Amino acid sequence: MGAANLSNAAAIVGAAESDVIGYPEDLTGHKVTSLQHHIQAIKNVSVQTGIPISDIQGIFSAGWSGELAEHLGLKPRYLDTTSVGGCSFQIHVHHALAAIHAGIIDIALVSHGEAGWSYRGGGGGGGGRGQVSPGAEMTAAYGTFGAPSQYAHAMVRHFHQFGTSQEDFAHISVVTRDWAQLNPRAVMYGKKQSPFGGPITVQDVLDARIIAWPLTLYHCCLVSDHGGAVIVARPEIARSLRTNPVWVTGAGESMGHQNILEMEDFTATSASRSSATAYKMAGLGPQDMEMAMIYDSFTITAGITAEMLGLAPRGKGYTLWKDGHAAPGGRVPINTNGGGLSFNHSGMYGMQLLVEAFRQLSRTAEDGVNGIEGKQTQATTCVVNGTGGTLSTTGTLVLTSDDR
Amino acid sequence: MAYNKPIPPRGQHTKPFWEGTRAGKLMLPRCRDCNRVHWYPRLICPSCHSTNLEWIEGSGRGRLHTFAVQHRAFGGWAEEVPYVTAYIDLDEGDRMMTVLRGVDPTKPEEIKIGTRVEVEFEQANDDTFIPFWRVADESGE
Repeated sequence: MGAANLSNAAAIVGAAESDVIGYPEDLTGHKVTSLQHHIQAIKNVSVQTGIPISDIQGIFSAGWSGELAEHLGLKPRYLDTTSVGGCSFQIHVHHALAAIHAGIIDIALVSHGEAGWSYRGGGGGGGGRGQVSPGAEMTAAYGTFGAPSQYAHAMVRHFHQFGTSQEDFAHISVVTRDWAQLNPRAVMYGKKQSPFGGPITVQDVLDARIIAWPLTLYHCCLVSDHGGAVIVARPEIARSLRTNPVWVTGAGESMGHQNILEMEDFTATSASRSSATAYKMAGLGPQDMEMAMIYDSFTITAGITAEMLGLAPRGKGYTLWKDGHAAPGGRVPINTNGGGLSFNHSGMYGMQLLVEAFRQLSRTAEDGVNGIEGKQTQATTCVVNGTGGTLSTTGTLVLTSDDR
Repeated sequence: MAYNKPIPPRGQHTKPFWEGTRAGKLMLPRCRDCNRVHWYPRLICPSCHSTNLEWIEGSGRGRLHTFAVQHRAFGGWAEEVPYVTAYIDLDEGDRMMTVLRGVDPTKPEEIKIGTRVEVEFEQANDDTFIPFWRVADESGE
């Protein structure tokens, strides 16, 4: 079943090309870029259909969707950047069909821009040949190196807007070390595993080496190895297996920007929107969440995300950790595996969030999957929020246990 | 001393900006239809989606929006640690990234959000001048 329901669920309502294709040069003799081809074609299809660009809800392109959304000033609720070669665009239409059928979006944009001749020999890549990311062009000179160098700006702005401090956020580090001490697979399980292992104190966090003020080493996630996999199946199959299903009760996604240069409010991410979508689908709210798995690339990421998810008032996300609510035995356990700060962070931490949420809600943590016990909560609901890029994109899930 | 830090990849749509820096001007893109200035430069106005854009000479003045102090760096920047990276709210609107000069990186608590700043340009090679921002001298105002 399934596929038949999609038939005729959506139609292609317009199709246009960039202004000059083939072997183009613009009026000043410059080569036309991949980005120009994208933007011209998008403008042209908007004119053709009468659909304003601002009405586009979903963006589909071969690896360039975030850049396109940012260039257009859009905050799409559906992002698909599947890049599997020349057939990517057929696959985009398929995915758009499913998204429209599901009621997630009404209007999808599939875009292509590839200066294959103008920049021949210039290499491929998601942006198309020869394309310089315009955000990178205007930030590359300024001595930032990796995520911490940028996230530090968000923390300073949080200090300014809400009167918070390094110490407030340090509690998040301390609590994740507490969780890590309950997880033998955590990199920071104990001092035997790492000199930086748990337990640690707030003072330890403040005294640690500065990476990018106000972020000290202990405000920053680990860099480690990880592999994870998740299977999603329809209910009949889910009920037939030996595992307890964990239901995807709500889901939402959004983005704010691609480059943090374009972040409107350094203390707020698109998780406010992605979680609103997810909660609405679930018919549940933050007050119903019995635990949370929150992407904690840095303490600031976790703190502000807790605010975006409605788990704490604006400016007060850190209090969940400081007051012990997020800690072992607290009323809303957060990051029960030890988080990206103390368990494991391989670069893209979102899979670790999913694995831990499943372990807790499916009761497989009790079964000792992978030979490790680790049931930390009795929670039957969990909000899971991944943050990608530089506080750029967010995906929120509301998961519920089968025994709820 | 020769400039030894990264020189940004030159985009294909920003020639007026880089030419402006050579003349000590901060050129900014503005939409002729909705009149808004945006940064970084685009092919389409991110506010109203008009492609009727122009370049204007900016005032080169703004305010400090937020900052960080970089203690870990590589290449030419490693020789300058600690230094202050920052985001500047332009008087014309929207925001620019920079390395902020005229502040003491060892006393971050003394750096104030909202401080008046102004642009300056440093020559990086024969045809590239890079904008940096400095805390403005308000004594004469």
